[in-house]
Amino acid sequence: MRGLQFPLNQTQRVRLQSALQQLQDVASKSTASVTVADTIPVSNEDGILKGHGTSELNGEVVATLCGVVERVNKLVYVRSLRSRYKPEVGDIIVGRVIEIAPKRWRLEINFSQDAVLMLSSMNLPDGIQRRRTAVDELNMRSIFEENDVICAEVRGFQRDGSLQLQARSQKYGKLTRGQMLTVPAYLVKRRKHHFHHLQQYGVDLILGCNGYVWVGEHVEVRENDMVVDQKNKLDETQVQSLVSFETRQFVCRIANAVRLLAALGFALLVEVIVDTVEASVLSNVAIKDMLGAEFYVQTAEREVQRRLSLMKRRS
Amino acid sequence: MEHVDPLTGFRQDGRRVNEMRQIRGEIGVVAKADGSAQFEMGNTKVIAAVYGPREVQNKNQQINNQALVRCEYSMANFSTGDRKRKPKGDRRSTEISLVIRQTMEACILTHLMPRSQIDIYVQVLQADGGTRSACINAATLALADAGIPMRDLVTSCSAGYLCSTPLLDLNYSEDSAGGPDVTVGILAKTDKVTLLQMDAKLPMDIFENVMQLAIEGCKAIANYIREVLGENTKELEYRRGS
Amino acid sequence: MLQNKSFVKKTRGGKIQKQVRELYLRHDIPCGSHACGSSCDRAAARLPADAGTVLVLDTNVVLNQIDLLENPAIDNVVVLSVVLDEVRNKNLAVFNRLKALCTNTGRNFYVFANENFKETNVIQMVGESPNDRNDRAIRVATRWYQGHLAGNSKILLVTNDRENKRKAIEEGLSAETVESYVRSLGRPELLDLVVLPTSEDATMMDVEDLRPSKRKIIYSEHKPMSEITSGLLHRIYHQGKLRVNRYNPFEAYVGSESIGDEIVIHGRSNMNRAFDGDIVAVELLPQDQWHEGESSIIADDEDDEEDDVHLAPSSADDAPRSINQVQHAAASTLTVSSRPVGRVVGIIKRNWHSYCGSLEPMPMPAGHGGTAHALFVSKDRRIPKIRIQTRQLDNLLDKRIIVVVDSWDCSSRYPSGHYVRTIGKIGDKDTETEVVLIENDINSRPFSAQVLACLPPLPWTLSPEDLAKPHRLDLRDVRVFSVDPPGCTDIDDALHCTRLRNGNFEVGVHIADVTNFVHPGTPLDEEASQRGTSVYLVERRIDMLPKPLTEDICSLRSDVERLAFSVIWEMTPEAEIISTRYTKSVIKSCAALSYVEAQARMDDSRLMDPLTSDLRNMNSLAKIMRLRRIDRGALTLASAEVKFQIDTETHDPLDIGMYQIREANQMIEEFMLAANVSVAEKILKHFPLCSLLRRHPSPTKEMLEPLLRTATSVGLDLDVSSSKRLADSLDHAVGDDPYFNKLIRILATRCMTQAVYFCSGDLSSSEFFHYGLAAPLYTHFTSPIRRYADVIVHRLLAAALEISKLPPIFQDKAQLTNISDNLNYRHRNAQMASRASVELHTLIYFKKRPTDAEARILKIKSNGFIVFVPKFGIEGPVYLMPRGEKGGDWVVDEAHQRIIKAGTNTSFGVLQTVMIHLEVVEPQPNRPKLELSLK
Repeated sequence: MRGLQFPLNQTQRVRLQSALQQLQDVASKSTASVTVADTIPVSNEDGILKGHGTSELNGEVVATLCGVVERVNKLVYVRSLRSRYKPEVGDIIVGRVIEIAPKRWRLEINFSQDAVLMLSSMNLPDGIQRRRTAVDELNMRSIFEENDVICAEVRGFQRDGSLQLQARSQKYGKLTRGQMLTVPAYLVKRRKHHFHHLQQYGVDLILGCNGYVWVGEHVEVRENDMVVDQKNKLDETQVQSLVSFETRQFVCRIANAVRLLAALGFALLVEVIVDTVEASVLSNVAIKDMLGAEFYVQTAEREVQRRLSLMKRRS
Repeated sequence: MEHVDPLTGFRQDGRRVNEMRQIRGEIGVVAKADGSAQFEMGNTKVIAAVYGPREVQNKNQQINNQALVRCEYSMANFSTGDRKRKPKGDRRSTEISLVIRQTMEACILTHLMPRSQIDIYVQVLQADGGTRSACINAATLALADAGIPMRDLVTSCSAGYLCSTPLLDLNYSEDSAGGPDVTVGILAKTDKVTLLQMDAKLPMDIFENVMQLAIEGCKAIANYIREVLGENTKELEYRRGS
Repeated sequence: MLQNKSFVKKTRGGKIQKQVRELYLRHDIPCGSHACGSSCDRAAARLPADAGTVLVLDTNVVLNQIDLLENPAIDNVVVLSVVLDEVRNKNLAVFNRLKALCTNTGRNFYVFANENFKETNVIQMVGESPNDRNDRAIRVATRWYQGHLAGNSKILLVTNDRENKRKAIEEGLSAETVESYVRSLGRPELLDLVVLPTSEDATMMDVEDLRPSKRKIIYSEHKPMSEITSGLLHRIYHQGKLRVNRYNPFEAYVGSESIGDEIVIHGRSNMNRAFDGDIVAVELLPQDQWHEGESSIIADDEDDEEDDVHLAPSSADDAPRSINQVQHAAASTLTVSSRPVGRVVGIIKRNWHSYCGSLEPMPMPAGHGGTAHALFVSKDRRIPKIRIQTRQLDNLLDKRIIVVVDSWDCSSRYPSGHYVRTIGKIGDKDTETEVVLIENDINSRPFSAQVLACLPPLPWTLSPEDLAKPHRLDLRDVRVFSVDPPGCTDIDDALHCTRLRNGNFEVGVHIADVTNFVHPGTPLDEEASQRGTSVYLVERRIDMLPKPLTEDICSLRSDVERLAFSVIWEMTPEAEIISTRYTKSVIKSCAALSYVEAQARMDDSRLMDPLTSDLRNMNSLAKIMRLRRIDRGALTLASAEVKFQIDTETHDPLDIGMYQIREANQMIEEFMLAANVSVAEKILKHFPLCSLLRRHPSPTKEMLEPLLRTATSVGLDLDVSSSKRLADSLDHAVGDDPYFNKLIRILATRCMTQAVYFCSGDLSSSEFFHYGLAAPLYTHFTSPIRRYADVIVHRLLAAALEISKLPPIFQDKAQLTNISDNLNYRHRNAQMASRASVELHTLIYFKKRPTDAEARILKIKSNGFIVFVPKFGIEGPVYLMPRGEKGGDWVVDEAHQRIIKAGTNTSFGVLQTVMIHLEVVEPQPNRPKLELSLK
């Protein structure tokens, strides 16, 4: 199985199995999972709408994906699990520049195609709203270079089918001083907030909808500070170029927590991540041991407790 | 050589004529890939990895209204008894690559992923006859794992005709006996044939029997694959939590 | 269903390869007994519920005691698959017999797949030999049976392996040796069938005649297989098939490929226990011991000096006499020949099978009814005497019996064997004919009920449905006739010849449509394919197909409507084929002529009826075709076919004479050849990979050697570079007497290879050639009633014409090759049987009438020559000196192929005419032979 590979001892194996079994028991029974070519039962009188992952065969609605059947009013669709990212307008994503083309950057965002970030849908460094000149175009590389990690928002699909991004906000832009993690996209749920400032650690956590997760040193977003002296900024970066050891440790700790949860296949919720980090600190687990067998099992057990308490609270 | 013992009705490996070898499928064996699977039919072991849909690498191959499907088949050097270095892209592997690509293309809903590319890599880890079928089954599992929309599950199985009896799922020693060998791939739900290969002559009525046997094998494999996928989907879902 | 992997190492092409095979162990294998208390599937159960004792056999029991097993007294047997496999690897012939037993529904032999069964599968342990593992597997299976059928049947392991028996008894199984089991049955006649253990196991038998002090090695020990293999590799030894001289059982030849020549082997001690047909390893003797081998002996073939037969098996004074003989011969003719001489050092593959013969007469032993040792004398002179043990000596002395060889120990002079069954009284014609049939492996049993059930209901008449079939051409209004030997009842060919308006001829050959009645896959078809051909003996015919088919339904008799398969040509008066048509048809023959009648009609110039003119037209066409064929290089060979006149009452031969060939015969033959060639072309065109054709390989230089030598000695120059040249030079070989040419042709025929059937996919097209007919393609199409090859060809042709589908068997190349091999085998055996039958009748004929006749010398030997009697078609040796005496004053002139009496003018040369006297003598009881002596 994909994910982490390590030997579990006998007790650990039993504990893990029982934890997973409990998770299975806890999971709501109402969700109907389907595999490719399974018939999705629908009552025809309703006049249903077939959504993603469905097709019609001999009057039956048939799944074309493995996943979970979701019904929203008349719409029936299959929410796929392990698949590439399906962009929706407004999604916050993390991506990596792979090419600089005329007036645009191409980003790899775990979608079936590369995403396009137009120079025009990007705030200029000087913060002035104006037409982009040829000079700007030549200076594109000073903004984002190849392999830079960027945070942006899905703007929509062009008529030619390509995916457009925009980064017209100070919170978007280049991400530095941290690590980017790749997790399956289905583990990141669409929420109100995808930017999380974990104050206690001084760390920013960006859960990109496309399954790319950013963990890095906290950067103050200066909405008002539109005009920044070029020189001043340079100094600043130089000063900040040394991230404190402590912060670096926290970055690693959080990154490992994300890795661990992804390996377990648990949804990446900021609370869970923070819980995991805290638990590791509390029980004095070294950063490297967070990816070890014991903590793996403990995390699974903690998740069981969390879900059980959630259930109780609900009922 | 007698491939079916006329006295006991068993084949050399203890199977009856209409029995398949033990099959086993496992999903997610390659961490980096979007979808991956290993499929075993007896001693034949095949691994498949799917990448994509992703940006088309070679822009002039891009198709504007559908996805580009590519397939690469290879045999590990250690997959057969004699360990000799085989040149990459020999006629046989080119042919099998093509066969797998065409078979899989028939079931992938390529029009849903325009301007993208899907790469299927299959490698034979251990060869003991029926590699073609095992590759197709592994590729089906890997594609389903990668969440690529498909019309139906394609499964494949071979059947041969030796000692005047149709035999299901030939192993290497039966395959190399030189009799006709029919490889069939079907869309499991719709019962449509997407692959049919035979490089020998058989009378029509016998051929139909052999093919029917192979189709039954395909259906058995389809049931198994559906089971594997269903379990996998359920597990992913409950682990993720609502 | 549990899975287990077995690892096998295997060499292929010298390389060591590891092969991994799967083995699925199952739970669902039934025990095959109706007495089974558990939930085994009873569908295939063979063992009855009331079987008191169920036998489990060890491999050695099957291998050695198959004759016993075939006796119905042995029943309720479990044959384990491990035993089957071992038997298959060790002896295919025994395996086939065991297989037949297991499939015979009349016998309760059940095959238990113990290797595939979870509970009885056994894995070879470290340090355990495969043999021990198999023995253990047998014991495990026996134990399983014991537990499984506990209380219902007694399970008895029958083994002759002492170790296995001991272990079995230790493990709490009941085990017995074959002998003690058979004894417990209380049927003494069965004990004759029990093969006694060889002397290694001698301690196990009650041996009153074993005298260890007198045991002495008579033959040198065979070299171990490993030594032979390496010896063959280093060319110290040479491998080949041993063939024993027909006239002298003390001389044998081994055709060795590594030397490219025949190695001569003199004497029994050099033959070292090898039988005729064995594959042996031979060591060459030093050159100075290569005495003049070839022409030295048509020695005395009866070892009648051994009057004092030693029945005790292992007495030392039994050393083969031939040692002296050889030394004697070596001393007398010291001319060192160029032919290599060798001795057998090991036997790679035995060719032992069952032999027909009789017991050597001997006085009844004192203890009546007890065990007696007897010497068995085979009818085949090439086979040495065989020592057997019997309890029914008085019963067997005047009988022809069948005996099988079991072993030949190096300390015993004769091989030991055991009695299998009795054929009948010696000298009885039916018995002797039966012997001929058995010796040639010919099935003369009546057809089984299943086979007869496949026949159409009798009386058969042409049905309207047959006529209505679109592919069947109605030729009933055509003047069709047949020409056959007198008295022929299975007429499978008929002809017609019509002059067309354009001056051309329409010639049709109509062959009985046997495939309309013999459908592939039916028991009838299986039986026919097994028999392969009808066998013609002097007084009897053994049919390939049941009588209703051969003599009625398929036989193209006159004035009845019959189905046929026709080849119809349009020919110019110059016999050029313009077009060929193939069709199924309905014919109504207007006359069934004999050759004599047909000839008479053609010769009688007064007859002008349409039939006769048809005959004449055909004859003129045939003559042109024949000339053209001879022009192409077809050989006109001659054979010494004889014909008997048989007394209708006693079936004794009344007269004997050469078969006369008339123009009419040649006419029919010509059209049959043409039809065969046309069909061969057609089927090969449609089925290039699975056609059954007939080829005749060109003879090699070596094969033609004797012919050339003879020819040179009489001053004849033969050109053998091609069939055409050979045919021409044979035509020019006209001696001073009319029979000379025929004699040369007979000799030439002897040098030819046999024509054989083959599957076109097995050979490249350059090998399809038929040398004798000088035809690039040839097959057999014209006699489907009496040859199975023709049946196959009919099916191929029908499929080529899209009349019917090609039966699935043609897809299986291996099976097709098997069929053609079987056909060749049956064909050869049928010929041998015919010849043997002729020989038998010759003997009967001459028994009453010693005759003088003119003979021709065929071959010169050192103490005589071999002659051929044209009048009777007999060939045999003539001795110039009393037996035992070598050389004498006769000297052989190799170059001129003459034998000259020293100091006199008397000499005999090859092809010379001599007068000889024919008389039947019986130098040894029960082995009468025709003796030829110089008049």
